[in-house]
Amino acid sequence: MESPVPSNSAKTYLATSQADRIKHLPAEARAAFQRFQTLGDPAGLDMVICAILADFMPRRPTVPLAERPGSTRLIDDLGFDSLAITEVIFFAEDLFGITITNEEMVHVRTLDDLRGFIRRKVAVHAPR
Amino acid sequence: MPPLPVITGLGFITSIGNDRPTVLRSLRELRHGFESVEFFGNPDLPVKVAGTVKGFAFPTPNWRDWVWPDHFAVDRELLRGLAPHGVYALCALQQALADAGLDPAALAGGQTGLFCASAGSPFLLGHFLNQMYATRGERGNPMGIISSIAGTLNFNLAAHYKISGAVCGFVSACASSSHALGYAMDEIRLGRQQRMLVVGAEDMTAESIVSFSTLRALSNNPDPATASRPFDRRRDGFVGTGGAVALVVEDAALACRRGARVYAELVGWGQAGDGYSVATSHPEGAGLREAMRRTLADARVDAHEVSYVNAHATSTPAGDRSEALALQAVFTSNGAKPRVSSTKALTGHALSLAGAMEAAFCALAIAEGFIPGAAHLEEPDPVCAGLDFPRVSLCEAPHFVLNNSSGFGGSNVCHLLRRPA
Repeated sequence: MESPVPSNSAKTYLATSQADRIKHLPAEARAAFQRFQTLGDPAGLDMVICAILADFMPRRPTVPLAERPGSTRLIDDLGFDSLAITEVIFFAEDLFGITITNEEMVHVRTLDDLRGFIRRKVAVHAPR
Repeated sequence: MPPLPVITGLGFITSIGNDRPTVLRSLRELRHGFESVEFFGNPDLPVKVAGTVKGFAFPTPNWRDWVWPDHFAVDRELLRGLAPHGVYALCALQQALADAGLDPAALAGGQTGLFCASAGSPFLLGHFLNQMYATRGERGNPMGIISSIAGTLNFNLAAHYKISGAVCGFVSACASSSHALGYAMDEIRLGRQQRMLVVGAEDMTAESIVSFSTLRALSNNPDPATASRPFDRRRDGFVGTGGAVALVVEDAALACRRGARVYAELVGWGQAGDGYSVATSHPEGAGLREAMRRTLADARVDAHEVSYVNAHATSTPAGDRSEALALQAVFTSNGAKPRVSSTKALTGHALSLAGAMEAAFCALAIAEGFIPGAAHLEEPDPVCAGLDFPRVSLCEAPHFVLNNSSGFGGSNVCHLLRRPA
């Protein structure tokens, strides 16, 4: 079916800069994203992933996610549900320019799973 | 005798106040809630006034940018599925539950139901669809549908408050929340539920309001003090508003057992279609006339007994005229002369929210012993001859109060409220 011509709002969505996409994240996470982009610093990438997770967690985290063990489970320990995980996936796809399938996400259960998974993905697709 | 539904809790997020005392003062002193606005950042738009909801802001579709008064608790988990009017609704319902002395934990268990009404969120739906157009269907907010379609209120509030009684949303445009309240009365009268929460809400955004300018339904009067003047000869359209109102309706026996304050009894309701036009009201208000008669018959009350009518009148030339003729047919021609006013002169027209909001105003009028005046009415349209419009709010305690609503397609709904014995 023919799609309507994108409106101004749609054009704005397409043109949204990465800086705009992460403007709600803490300053240190935004700086880490810059380091990852320019230097390919993987530690910076981990910090960005934790910040994204904290931003989409249904309940505000009581302990910083970076201080949680890598075996912490997204659903059982952090209270994520499938909708919140989907929000994280879409956000990560747009931010890092990657594609994540549902089948791939089924195997991502813990913080370490997610960090490792996104590291592998972005290694394939960039650094820019 | 079937169970009698009574109103035991009220919550307000409206252009004339975000709590009961402020709303009461606005109604008594005829303080309007209008401000000058510039929709879509376009100074050339002729619509320049709206009934703004103070203390809230929704500058972008991203909930992280939203603002609401600090004293309301809005869970992060809930926010992602809410439209702006969902935030209003949550705040209004928190107030109503506190007002009724109800712990939210008491709402689970199946004896409490929830009926809601809104038109959805054109603001969020537009954004959601634009994302999909832009990505050719490959992206979209996972909560885009839940937060934006009509029904978003009942989806969110029923899950949040763990309501396992009757849950439904009503869509009949500007009669929507009146339908919700009417059917909530029936749930109690039929013994199906002991308590019903009724929530009406609408966004206060350009997308929700300016859309009506395509129908030439909005006032182009730039003066906030006169733009909404129902029944006035110079009226030129309605002024849009949004917000939310929540009512707690209970079986009178339950309210009595738990010692709840009763604002008003809900003794009858009725509805009738115009069978005439998709958008404009019947020229003689045929459907509204019949809805009023059915309501009075349902309550076994004579027209002479009605003290006050809260008219639907939105300040449009055609709609107010139809209602005036319907009121004359039901009341004036029978020698009955209730006080009549439209509180939309103060609030603006809140669309799906209007019926519940005005039912709550009627309940306040009964409980506080006053009749809201017909604000901004200077030169009554000659078609209103014989109708009694008080120009100021009156210290008269109404016994029976009729609340009128009409929506697109000629959907007309009325409720009759009574002062508790």
